[in-house]
Amino acid sequence: MPENEEKAAEVFAHEHEEEEHKTPGTVVLTLALLISFAVYYFANWKALADVWHVR
Amino acid sequence: MANAVAIPASHEESEVITKPVGNHAAGNSRTCDTTGLPVCLTAQLFIRLNAVLGVVALLAGGIAALLIALTRWPAVHLLDPVWYYRLTTFHGLNMLIFWILFMEVGILYFASTTLLNSRLFSKGMAWASFVMMVAGAVLVDVTILGGKADVMMTSYVPLKAHSNFYLGIILVAVGTLIGVANFFGTLYIAKRDKTYAGSVPLVVFGATAAAIIAVVTLLHGALVMIPTWLWSMDILKEVDAGWYRLVWWGLGHQSQQVNVCAMVSVWYFLATLTTGAKPLNQAVCRGAFVLYILFINLASAHHLLVDPGVGASWKIWNTSYAMYLAVLASMIHGFTVPASVETAMRKKGHNRGLFGWLAAAPWKNPGFSAFFLSLLIFGFIGGITGVTLGTQQINILAHNTLRIPGHFHSTVVGGTSLAFMGLAYYVVPLIFKREYYARGLARVQPYLFAVGIVLMSLGMSFAGSYGVPRRHWDIEFTGAQFAPGFGSGAHVMLGLMGVGAVIAFVGLLTFILLTVAAVFFGKKIENRAMTPW
Ligand code: HEM
Ligand SMILES: [Cu+2]
Repeated sequence: MPENEEKAAEVFAHEHEEEEHKTPGTVVLTLALLISFAVYYFANWKALADVWHVR
Repeated sequence: MANAVAIPASHEESEVITKPVGNHAAGNSRTCDTTGLPVCLTAQLFIRLNAVLGVVALLAGGIAALLIALTRWPAVHLLDPVWYYRLTTFHGLNMLIFWILFMEVGILYFASTTLLNSRLFSKGMAWASFVMMVAGAVLVDVTILGGKADVMMTSYVPLKAHSNFYLGIILVAVGTLIGVANFFGTLYIAKRDKTYAGSVPLVVFGATAAAIIAVVTLLHGALVMIPTWLWSMDILKEVDAGWYRLVWWGLGHQSQQVNVCAMVSVWYFLATLTTGAKPLNQAVCRGAFVLYILFINLASAHHLLVDPGVGASWKIWNTSYAMYLAVLASMIHGFTVPASVETAMRKKGHNRGLFGWLAAAPWKNPGFSAFFLSLLIFGFIGGITGVTLGTQQINILAHNTLRIPGHFHSTVVGGTSLAFMGLAYYVVPLIFKREYYARGLARVQPYLFAVGIVLMSLGMSFAGSYGVPRRHWDIEFTGAQFAPGFGSGAHVMLGLMGVGAVIAFVGLLTFILLTVAAVFFGKKIENRAMTPW
C-alpha cells in the first residue's frame, strides 16, 4: 500500500492546522545556498573590476 | 449519460460514482483509489490530452536540442548555419512555450477540480482551448521547419517571419487564455457550490497565482504579437524595435514566473504525495505567492539591462528593489518546501543528525527525486546565477553570452521541466490509470536528466564567462581574417556542455519512452491503488 499517497486527501483537508517544527537540516542547506551565492556574486564583481578599471 | 472519456465506461472507469456528488453530475466523477481524492472525468480527459501534447512537444524540442547542442560543441559542429538557427528557434518555442503551456493548463485543470472537489467549469471551453493550442503549435512548427521563420524564439523586430508564425503564437496564447478562464470559472463554481470547506489548499493558491500572472503575461503577448502580425502582412508599416523589446519581455519574463509558480505548486504537491509533508506556515507561503504577483512584472527589466532604449534609473529600480522582492518569494519557498519535508520525515522518526531525514527520504521514488533535484538545481544554480546576472553592472559582462542559456536551463529545465517529469510519475498512474514499465529505469531517469542538465548548464555558464556568445553558429570564425580568440578553457567548457547535453537528452528520451509506453501499453489500474514507487 502506498502509505504517503494514501494520506494525500487527508493532508489537503487538514493542512491548515499548524504544528510545532524544528528544521535544523534545512537551515544548514539554506546557509550553504547563501554562502555559495556570496562567493559567486563576489567573484563576479571581482571579474568586473578586472575588466573595467576605475581610476 | 455520456462518458467523458473515450474508453467505454465498463472497461475502465470502474469506480465511477453513479450518483451526483458535490457539483459533479451523475457518472461524471470517480474517487481515486490511491489518494482518495475526487476526480472529475471531464477534467481527467483534458489533463490527459494536455499531457500527451506536452510530451509530444518535449520530444520535438528535445531532438532539436540534441542537434543544436552538438553544433555548439566545436569538436562536433554538426549542423550548417541555416539549420542551427532554424532549430534553435524551433527548440525554444517547442520547449519553453508548448511543452510548458500544455502541462500548465493540465495542472490548472487538476488543481481546480480534484483539490477543490469540483467539476470542470466548461467542457466546451476546454475543447476550444485545446484545439486552438494544438492548431497554433502546429502552425508555428510547420512555418519554422518550412524555413519561413528563422527569427529565434524572441522574434525581435525588425527580423520578420511569415505571418503564420505570429498567428500560431497568437492562437496558442488565446487558447491558453481560454484554459486559464476555465480555471477561474471552476474556482467560481467550486466556491458557489461550496464543494470545499475553509480556504483553498496551498497548491490551488499557488496555481491561482500562476493563473493571475498568466493573464497579465498573455495580455502583453497580445499587445505585442497582434501589431507584429499585422506588420508581417504589410498592414502596419512599422513596429518600433525598442517598444517591441520592452513589451515582448512583459510576455517573455512573466511567463517564466508562471513557470516558477507552477513549479513551486508541483513541489508542494509532490512533497505531500511522496513524504506526507504539509505546508509549515500558510500565511508565509501564501504571502510569498502574492509577492510574485506584485513584483514579477517589474523584474522583466533584467532582460533590457544593456538596452539603449531605456534609462539607467529605470533599469536599476526595477532590477534591484523590485526584483529582490520577487526573489525573496522564491527564497521563502526554497526554504519552506524542504523544511516541510524535514518536518514530515522527522515525525516519522528519522531524527539522526542534521541530515538523517534527507538520507532517509524516498530517493528511489522518481516523484521525490525529481522534485528534490529540481529544488536543488533551481535554487543553487538557477537562483544564484539569476540574481547575479540580474545585477546591472554584472550583466554587462554576461549579456548575450552562453551564461544566459546556462542560467535558464537550470531554472526552466533543471527546475520546472524536471518537476513536471516528477509529476508525470504520478499523473500516469493516477489520471491515466496505467502502471509504468521498467520501474528501475524510471527510478534512475531523474538523476540522469539532472546530471546532464547540471553539466550542460555549468559548461554553458563558464564558457559564457570566457565570452562565448549565445546563438552563435561558429565561434571559430572559420575563414575569418582575425584570430578566433577563444582559448582552451572555453573549449573545455563547451565540451562539458556537449557531454551534459547528450546525457540530458538520454534522460529526456528515457522519460518520454517510459511515459509513452506506460500511457499506451501500461498495465491498467482498476479498483486498486497504484503500485507504490
Ligand atoms: C535535453 C535537454 C536540452 C538541451 C540539450 C538543450 C540545449 C540547448 C542549446 C544547445 C541551446 C542553444 C544555445 C545557444 O546556442 O545559444 C538551447 C537554447 C534554448 N533552450 Fe534548451 N535544451 C534542453 C532543454 C530545454 C528545455 C526543456 C527548455 C524549456 C523548457 C529549453 C529552453 C531553451 C530556450 C528558451 C533556448 C533559447 C533559444 C534562443 O536563443 O532563441 N531547453 N538549448
Ligand atoms: Cu526574466
